Amino acid sequence: MLSVKYFGAVAEKTKVQGEDIPFSNLSLQELVDELEQKYDLGALSYSVAVNQKIVQDANSYMLISNDVVALLPPFAGG
Amino acid sequence: MRYNRQIILSEVGEKGQQKLGQAKVLIIGAGGLGAAILPYLAAAGIGEIGIIDDDAIEITNLQRQVIYRNDAIGKSKALEAKKMALSLNPSIQINAITDTLNAKNAIALFEYYDIMVDATDNLQTKYLINDACVVTNKAFVYGSIYKFQGQVSVFNYQNGPTYRCLFPDEKSNSKNCVDAGVMGISVGIIGMFQANEVLKMVLGIGNVLSGELLIYNMLTNDQQKFELVKSNSTLFSRLDFEKKYHVVENTVLEITANEALEGINNPEVLFLDVRNEDEFPKISLPNAIQIPLSDLEDNLSELDSNKKLLVYCQSGIRSKRAVEILINNSFSKVQSIAGGALKLEGVIATNAISI
Repeated sequence: MLSVKYFGAVAEKTKVQGEDIPFSNLSLQELVDELEQKYDLGALSYSVAVNQKIVQDANSYMLISNDVVALLPPFAGG
Repeated sequence: MRYNRQIILSEVGEKGQQKLGQAKVLIIGAGGLGAAILPYLAAAGIGEIGIIDDDAIEITNLQRQVIYRNDAIGKSKALEAKKMALSLNPSIQINAITDTLNAKNAIALFEYYDIMVDATDNLQTKYLINDACVVTNKAFVYGSIYKFQGQVSVFNYQNGPTYRCLFPDEKSNSKNCVDAGVMGISVGIIGMFQANEVLKMVLGIGNVLSGELLIYNMLTNDQQKFELVKSNSTLFSRLDFEKKYHVVENTVLEITANEALEGINNPEVLFLDVRNEDEFPKISLPNAIQIPLSDLEDNLSELDSNKKLLVYCQSGIRSKRAVEILINNSFSKVQSIAGGALKLEGVIATNAISI
């Protein structure tokens, strides 16, 4: 199982704060691409964290079971 | 007397209170976040606080910008904020700046203050704050809201990760409070987190939120921290800053020998020869100094930064490098003479300029 958490404008798009996804052998980028397609996130910009750590290079990051992924867009309000 | 309740904390004490009194903090934006941050920093006795904002108070601000009174609608936010802070604590200094933060004023302001607090409502200014903090080596206390969620972090603290390490993509657009809506409580909570980071940094207590992004959800009280590391691609020099924000046009960094020689005998101009002493032709100008390029960085104190510096070498290559070094060291009026000493010599000979 993989767990995904959504924040800010991303959560607005997904309409859920988070969800569990059956685990399959994926790179972080592949998971992000799938989610981007599923929820039409293309127009949004966000950083991605795995297990509370921001990942700079999602392409070379292989996910393992029970990873918790977070999609973190910048906020602008003040 | 005023600070008794915090001085009796062993983490603060008389020494800590002195540190607070000596601190200079700039709050960028006098909106919702600024209205939460300012009174607490002022009350705690931060010695000098700058507050920069060019906006006027509107009725729709009052639901969250709680330092402003109904009868101040239409008045300057920065000036009203100053009035409020001084009536709360007249023993400190408040500098109201009724302007927007821009690339032209950011560096000088950031050089003056110790800590910059982001209380802005747009991403563009956050990148500007970040870049100017990197150039001036100052900490950047970030705070931002999206509806019922808030983000807080301290960037560029003791060479730590920067805003660009977290959000490298500058083109992203995220809604501000005007577009997305916000409760006054939310900016209050996040502003309070920011003020707390400022006080911790000044006092040297606790763990500063550097290398971490805090996300707080007001609806669930869920609080999460995400670790971030410094990425190498975010290094930023003074010259990079000036080029990126067009403070100086690239072409202005070079001047022709003809134009340069109009500066002979002008006391505001200093010619700087960055060649080695054994290089010819010698150009003897009355207002000139020679510092070889390899020694330049160690001898900047010999140069008067108030003067316009016209830099030359043999042919105009090393002088461009010298201009970069000078701009990175806060010299603002610097130009490289195209063609260098060879060109200068030619112009002096053909025009029979008397030196």
